[in-house]
Amino acid sequence: MRPSRRFDPLWMLGPTLVLLVVFFFVPLLQAAKSSLYEWDLLTPPRYVGLDNYRALIDSGELGHALGTTLIMSAVVVVGSMALGLVLALALNRPTRFAGFVRSAVFSAYVVSWVSVALLWLWVLDADAGALTALCRALHLPTTHWLGNPKSALYALSGVTIWKIAGYSMVLFLAGLQDIPRSLYEAAALDGAGAWQRFVNVTWPLLRPTAAFVGTTSLIISFQVFDVVRVMTQGGPVRSTSVFVYAIYEQVFLNLRVGRASALVVVFFVLLLGLTALQLWAWRKKGAA
Amino acid sequence: MSFSRRAFLALAATGCAASTAPPGRKTAPLWFTYGGKNRQVLEGLVKAFNLSQGEHWITPIYQGDYFEGLAKLRTAIAARRAPALSHVVGEVVPYLARADVLEPLDDYPGARQLDIVPALGQAGSWTGGAEQRLVALPFNRSTPIAYLNGKLFAEKKLAAPKTWDELRAVARAFTQEGRHGFGCPIDWWFWAALVGQAGGDVVEPDGRVSLGGEAGERALDFWKTLVLEDKSMKPPPGRDYNAWEQTNQDFLGARVAMIWTSTAFLKYLEENAPFPVVAAPLPAERRRAVPTGGTHWIMLRAAPAEQKPTAWAFLRFMHETANAITWATRTGYMPVTRAAIAQLEAEGYYLKHPNDRVALDQLGVARPWPWSPDLFRVQREIVQPRLEGAVLGGKGTRQSLDEARALATRWR
Repeated sequence: MRPSRRFDPLWMLGPTLVLLVVFFFVPLLQAAKSSLYEWDLLTPPRYVGLDNYRALIDSGELGHALGTTLIMSAVVVVGSMALGLVLALALNRPTRFAGFVRSAVFSAYVVSWVSVALLWLWVLDADAGALTALCRALHLPTTHWLGNPKSALYALSGVTIWKIAGYSMVLFLAGLQDIPRSLYEAAALDGAGAWQRFVNVTWPLLRPTAAFVGTTSLIISFQVFDVVRVMTQGGPVRSTSVFVYAIYEQVFLNLRVGRASALVVVFFVLLLGLTALQLWAWRKKGAA
Repeated sequence: MSFSRRAFLALAATGCAASTAPPGRKTAPLWFTYGGKNRQVLEGLVKAFNLSQGEHWITPIYQGDYFEGLAKLRTAIAARRAPALSHVVGEVVPYLARADVLEPLDDYPGARQLDIVPALGQAGSWTGGAEQRLVALPFNRSTPIAYLNGKLFAEKKLAAPKTWDELRAVARAFTQEGRHGFGCPIDWWFWAALVGQAGGDVVEPDGRVSLGGEAGERALDFWKTLVLEDKSMKPPPGRDYNAWEQTNQDFLGARVAMIWTSTAFLKYLEENAPFPVVAAPLPAERRRAVPTGGTHWIMLRAAPAEQKPTAWAFLRFMHETANAITWATRTGYMPVTRAAIAQLEAEGYYLKHPNDRVALDQLGVARPWPWSPDLFRVQREIVQPRLEGAVLGGKGTRQSLDEARALATRWR
């Protein structure tokens, strides 16, 4: 379809385009340029070519940040989707109590990340935390949840899942309520049990919702910063140093603008790759 | 690098630096980096300065914690919007001096006649500090000290530990379900204290980063014994000042019986603990030793020339005996002038407040830092992660420190 006035679409795109250029493309190009310099904001920048990238690879920081972020993303996406789906299935009924629980679960999503982090700092305290007390009461082993490098990343992932599960639940609820009752009735008449109805009716029709929930959870998990900043500051032993926090640490704490910029560029390429992969998967599915 | 970046940084840096100075006053901004009680005391002193004369006006502007403040300071310098006055941790002073962003203070009226406690000034805080141009004056200076839960210690009839063996025994004695005997962040500053106590120096007088040699290993092994073997020491979650704050909260909540932290928190802990707080010097191993910490005043070379006399007038004001005393007695930091200490002694202040005396007494065994522009990078990027790796990550002590030494040497 051709517009009657050729330049109208461009005018309409203009404001968004300007914002994108000013706040996205220019800073990105600036970061790409800075990544080739050693600069501490005090002394004049010194051109070092690809040394910043080399230093990040040689020190293992790049691989570590990548690994930490991917592990956290995998746990958060799977965990929040699973929990959101279970909650949606359990609460998809028109009772007052279900409504109250739905509101309670969703309320975590609207609370600020910093408040959530402070709350969980108390819950996860190794001596007096609620989780530690619960484990002790049940005679289960406890650990220093945030002080142990083996558990800290999973503890933060758990906090993130707790925070965003309500969002997943609401989306799944919307998806569930879109499924015609007649399909369940037909399946029941054919002798399908609850599990078969879920596998053959509910899940296939929830797939588009699940894809959306998965994508948004992935984006949230890649952007996680506040919980890390408040609860662990990337520690212990850098076990929670996810990509965004590593960038913050390089520029604000280590005073290394070049290395932070190099991390930004790698992060951008990573997200671009993941987005391309996702688009390819959707298009392929659409074509099929 | 480019005009556009500088313009952007200028916008970011100038932010909300509005002044409410009366007409006719010469103004200067002061960027400061702490909140809570210390912030209130500083703002009170700024107010007193502004009211005490009719020529100058200082505008205090809060800039987050030490590191956030430093980042903003760098941004402001790059944007050519540097404030006249700020304060920074000692480790970065040589770094800023090498970058030539600090205003030399030698030629300001009375600069060399300030009655500063030698161990707290530039000459005493750094080896070789006296040979440099004067660029830093002491502000909130501290040493690590031990804080004891007076109620718990009285119940068990135990005294503050004087040796590492006693510390280990005391920590074990107080450890039970829901409580650790001892709390301390796995942080370079406290490890440096242990290295000194074990008879070593993190950096040798010739500038070589030895990390204490055998003393460094003993210090790290001592932590490992307390954390991993005895399970009597609680390393708080988090890093940097967040970990310190967690240690304070554990102490106030009686979840640990004894902590090591800065004198900076003396008044805060005394006022908020539901039990008597007893301050004690750090124990000795082969000898007694502590590092000094806290921040130093700096003036920025790039600040507008007309602001500098105002900044200097305020620095003189802060070094007046009454004001040095106000700052020290209301926060817990050490008085930075000899006259202030003498007056407090004469008035019997330390007899009434023995906790305030602890850090001051430790000054006699304080170890200076080297005047090394790269020290803070060695600390942050090389040593600190390896301390955590050894204590919390299960890495070998010798392997961790050998690795750190090799990297630090290559850096040099």
